[in-house]
Amino acid sequence: MKILVPLKRVSDPDNANKIKVGAGKVETTGLEWKPNPFDEYAVETALRLTENGTNAKARLGEVTVVTFGPKETETTLRAALATGADKAIRVDTTDDAIDGDLLARALKALVEREKPDLVLLGKQQVDGDANQVAQLLAEYLGWPQATFAGQITSEADKALLVSREVDGGSIKLRVTLPAVVSVDLRIVNAVGVTSMHTPPTHKYSDGVRFAALMAIMAAKKKSLTEVKLTDLSPDTALKIKYTGFDLPPARKAGVKIKTVAELVQKLKTEAKVL
Amino acid sequence: MSKPISAINRYKADLRELFFLAFEQFGLTELLGKAPFDAWGEEEVRQSVSECYRWVREVSGPLNAIGDAEGCRIEGGAVLTPKGFKDAWKKLYEAGWKSIGVSPEFGGAGAPKCVVLFIEELLCGANTAFTMYSGLTYGASEVIESFGTEEQKHLYCPRMFGGQWGGTMCLTEPSAGSDVGAARTSATLNPDGTYSIKGTKIYISAGDHDLAENIVHLVLARVEGAPAGTKGLTLFIVPKVRTNKDGTLGTANDVTVGSIEHKMGINGSATCVLNFGENGACIGVPVGGDTKLNQGMSQMFKMMNGARIAVGMQGYSVASSAYLNALEYAKERKQGASITHWKDATAPRVSIIEHADVRRMLLDMKSRVEGIRALAVKLARHQDTVDALTATGGDDKVIAYHQGQVDLLVPLVKAYGSDQGFRVCETAIQTYGGAGYTRDYPVEQYCRDAKIFSIYEGTNHIQAMDLVGRKLGQAGGANLQAFLGDVGKFVAKNSEHPALGAAVKSLGEAAQATFAASMKLLMWFQSGNLALVPLTANRFLEMMSELAVAWVLLDGAVIADAKKTGLAEGSPDIAFYAGKVHAALFFARNVLPGVEHKAKLMDLEDKTPLDIPDAAFATV
Ligand SMILES: Cc1cc2nc3c(=O)[nH]c(=O)nc-3n(C[C@H](O)[C@H](O)[C@H](O)COP(=O)(O)OP(=O)(O)OC[C@H]3O[C@@H](n4cnc5c(N)ncnc54)[C@H](O)[C@@H]3O)c2cc1C
Repeated sequence: MKILVPLKRVSDPDNANKIKVGAGKVETTGLEWKPNPFDEYAVETALRLTENGTNAKARLGEVTVVTFGPKETETTLRAALATGADKAIRVDTTDDAIDGDLLARALKALVEREKPDLVLLGKQQVDGDANQVAQLLAEYLGWPQATFAGQITSEADKALLVSREVDGGSIKLRVTLPAVVSVDLRIVNAVGVTSMHTPPTHKYSDGVRFAALMAIMAAKKKSLTEVKLTDLSPDTALKIKYTGFDLPPARKAGVKIKTVAELVQKLKTEAKVL
Repeated sequence: MSKPISAINRYKADLRELFFLAFEQFGLTELLGKAPFDAWGEEEVRQSVSECYRWVREVSGPLNAIGDAEGCRIEGGAVLTPKGFKDAWKKLYEAGWKSIGVSPEFGGAGAPKCVVLFIEELLCGANTAFTMYSGLTYGASEVIESFGTEEQKHLYCPRMFGGQWGGTMCLTEPSAGSDVGAARTSATLNPDGTYSIKGTKIYISAGDHDLAENIVHLVLARVEGAPAGTKGLTLFIVPKVRTNKDGTLGTANDVTVGSIEHKMGINGSATCVLNFGENGACIGVPVGGDTKLNQGMSQMFKMMNGARIAVGMQGYSVASSAYLNALEYAKERKQGASITHWKDATAPRVSIIEHADVRRMLLDMKSRVEGIRALAVKLARHQDTVDALTATGGDDKVIAYHQGQVDLLVPLVKAYGSDQGFRVCETAIQTYGGAGYTRDYPVEQYCRDAKIFSIYEGTNHIQAMDLVGRKLGQAGGANLQAFLGDVGKFVAKNSEHPALGAAVKSLGEAAQATFAASMKLLMWFQSGNLALVPLTANRFLEMMSELAVAWVLLDGAVIADAKKTGLAEGSPDIAFYAGKVHAALFFARNVLPGVEHKAKLMDLEDKTPLDIPDAAFATV
């Protein structure tokens, strides 16, 4: 199975200093970066699908990771290569120059070049939180899609049973490849992914695997190619335009209420809920 | 009911600080991508350190308090390690962190010593006791790699570097502690060329455990008829289970665990009494074969630098996490009002980090931890230069200079690192108040764990004697002169620095005082006033360490001060660099002046500890 995983770095939610508000754009100077956690889950899923979990070193398929960003984002790709991905592609651009729609159109072109059987994505970025690229991509490709996967079983080489996380439970979908799947947190549980190569009794460690030292050292030798955004999508017009950013209004101080009678009074007259 | 000990990680490290030392202060990049570090670039260093930090927080860190509470036990003559250690051992070797410094010949990554030091700091700080097992294994394997026969190397090194077999260093005996030469363990030649080993070793770390298939003991023993003292000691390879040439295991080798110690700290590390040859069936062979008889001590000596640096590192690794935990607590704990409102009982409660004395403790810890770490990295950087120059056929004189600095700094890093490591842990407890004394927080364990560092691998007095007795006069005093010369150059260059000049000038004064004290020691040696040397050796080691630490802190501060300007508003580096400057200023103003004072104390030539009669110490 050939799998393509788009991944992106996001500003670390643990950053000590808060994002500053500039005109029409989020100020990112000095922010620390880390891979989007949902994308890391997607890479982990791709690795689990292309291996026998009892011998995770041998890849029984091909995992390609792709990111859209400037040169520095290659660090994120190398980290994925160190955990087991086979090759990496960086599409040269900046965050300001792309939106979800352009990303989906560029990914479509990339899929046509790379011909993966499956595109696995994180369900959303923890910075933009848009949750739309997987859906747009599936539509543009005309491929089946399954979003918010919490469990995936590869039943045969070209068929997946995907359990989707939805309000109040889960829905099981049988998907024929090629397809687009986006993953949720639960996918990296010990039994989140069952590949056809792995004995069904096998249990993974919860979470995303560690990169072994020797794999970090070897990652440099794996292929990392650069592609121009315009090679994938000559039309780089954005559908989303940011006109300004504001912080949420500061919360007003509360009031202390002395008696129950006063409380009832206020609920009636001020909150008007009684 | 007592509170359960839970498996949560408390270990904290500040990786920004490590990367500053490597790439901004000590110029590691110059050595990367070239022989013998061809495979290494900045990216590999950053990724390895970051990934290892994630690994320790998720795997070995959560076992630290559990291993402490549970300790080791003996069942059926075998030591069982605490819950989770076995699984963590397997994961440690899968992840490959112990291979980072191993030569590629034995499957390692051949990293620079600076990088190995970072990785070891993370492993050790997260769980000191657990890291003892792999540390001893690594050290023993290195000895075999350096001095073993080809056959010994190929039999033992890959298996020990890979964690399949463990290793130990067996020096200490009931009557041979600091005085290693008093060892009585004997070796008798057998007709087949092997030796029968007989004797008892005590306090042997990782002496037995359930983590590896076999344990390879390196045992100092005396061959029958060999001279007394250290000159007659041979280092033997004595496996717990006999090994065949192809690496398969044979029968038990008559090595038994007499008991394990109940200790103050590092409870997850088994400290064993080992009996060799109680039934006359313990076989060993000399490391390097029969031509290497009576060379045990010199072999050990060659490896000692590495072990001693590692112990100094143990000190600051634990202290660093103690500091970072205390810092976190100080920001959260609310107690008392600001002193500016001392009369107002209704003034708002503040976090204790707002109290002057708490800030003093925090900055005291920060400056010591960062300063000692910087000194250790400087030392490792000298080692890396030696390795790089040796690999590329560099100038012998330059190599000798760098090796000289390594030799000179080793006792400082070992003794000052371990002494101060313990003291920082104590300050961390004080910062917490009562909470720090309880097991709800990690600092009391850190403090108990850290005490051993000043004792093993040569007590800190032995380090001080090594410094004054061997190192000061080494190479005709050239190493000390070069060191003071380097400090002098730094002072000359930076004494007019707008922010740091005054501190730099006091560094120059401390260097003068240290030089004068070293001359004093020489005079005592020469004039037969020998008794004053051991009386003042520890003090001299402290003086020289404080000089060295102040130097590397100020050097870092000069760099940080220059980088501070021109940063974009909001960059977290603004605070980081400010921290470097403040730590250096604090150390220079509050600790460094003590060097001159201590030199004055040495001038007094006080001998009261020698003059007091034994009976006068107490009436009991
Ligand atoms: C937890 C733990 C783990 C250990 N692990 C190992 C191990 O793996 N392998 C191993 O071989 N050993 C190990 N040791 C032993 C350790 O190295 C010794 O305890 C140490 O060298 C000191 O020896 P000693 O305990 O006999 O003390 P002593 O040598 O009796 O020293 C007692 C005191 O006297 C001082 N003193 C001794 N001689 C002199 C002198 N000539 N001049 C001035 N002062 C002197 C010392 O500084 C010390 O203050 C371990 C010990 C412990 C506690």
